[in-house]
Amino acid sequence: MNAKRFTLAAVEWAPWLPPVTPETASPAQRAALDASPQANSAYFRTLANDVDSLAERSPLFHAVMYVPRGLKRAERELATVVVSIINGCVYCSSVHARRFVELTKQPEIIRALYEQGVDTKLEPRLRAIVDYAAKLTREPAAMTVADLAPLRAVGMDDLEIHDLTNAVAMFANANRLMQTLGEPVVPDGAA
Amino acid sequence: MPQPPQPTDLLEAIIGVAPGSALSQLRAQRPAIVRHTQGSHDVLLSPADPGGLSLAERALVAARVAELSGHVGLAGHYRSLLADRGEPPHSQRQDAILRHVARVTTAPGTALRGHIDTLRAVGLDARDIVALTQIVAFVSYQVRAAAGLALLAQEKAA
Repeated sequence: MNAKRFTLAAVEWAPWLPPVTPETASPAQRAALDASPQANSAYFRTLANDVDSLAERSPLFHAVMYVPRGLKRAERELATVVVSIINGCVYCSSVHARRFVELTKQPEIIRALYEQGVDTKLEPRLRAIVDYAAKLTREPAAMTVADLAPLRAVGMDDLEIHDLTNAVAMFANANRLMQTLGEPVVPDGAA
Repeated sequence: MPQPPQPTDLLEAIIGVAPGSALSQLRAQRPAIVRHTQGSHDVLLSPADPGGLSLAERALVAARVAELSGHVGLAGHYRSLLADRGEPPHSQRQDAILRHVARVTTAPGTALRGHIDTLRAVGLDARDIVALTQIVAFVSYQVRAAAGLALLAQEKAA
């Protein structure tokens, strides 16, 4: 199991590059930050150093995680927690584990994933989601049409599978930005 | 001056999704994802002002991520883009960039603050380092989005 301290507590993030500040932001940087989930966060202000990519990424992220219909929001959040555990992203897992718990009131599912790993026992629908997310994260080139069978067996339609794929893919992205442009700051005593 | 023809949607071209097909209609239910996936590709690979990370270096980085991730179709796309732009000569700078790219692609949890200093030492500034990281992160996203879409395509063809 990973030795990193995955937590349900709020985690801070410290950048390794100077973030754009309100005083130094260009009009384009301000606009891209205003369209991001948290305009004042050090993470988005760091990404604003390359403003055009931030201006595309924020609406992409929003569409993947929050657009209605298709895969339930809680299930998108769960998939991103699984990806973040596999990739070792303490910050991402903390944020999205808390969103999952807000939506489901089931912190025990997160605790099981943190403590026993992504192979922990889960009810069949969540098991199918977690297995798909784990394999697409670890071995995207090894995916075969057989990997859809467990999702179909629990009743998932095309749009739900498409949404699940995009959530997993989005966190291949988020985990790489978050872990290589800065580091998590976990509060003392967090568990 | 005439503009080059607009590229079709790259993911659909790579997977072989026909316009108007069931999969194309499925993707059309998420128009912002279609638009900003292509938009991210375009601003990262072909920015109007590439800053200190050249257009050829951007194509080289994307090709390497696709190759390390085992996606033949995307690797071919980025190799072709690189061939059009001319492969940059081998250098210490290129080695440092590609070492970083391999680490972020295959072991993103092992990055250290010192790796940023290494990139700065070969001439990359804050914007270039964010752009480099965004390219690695974007292609890592794209590889998985393409893999999942391809499964739905194969299932329908079966």
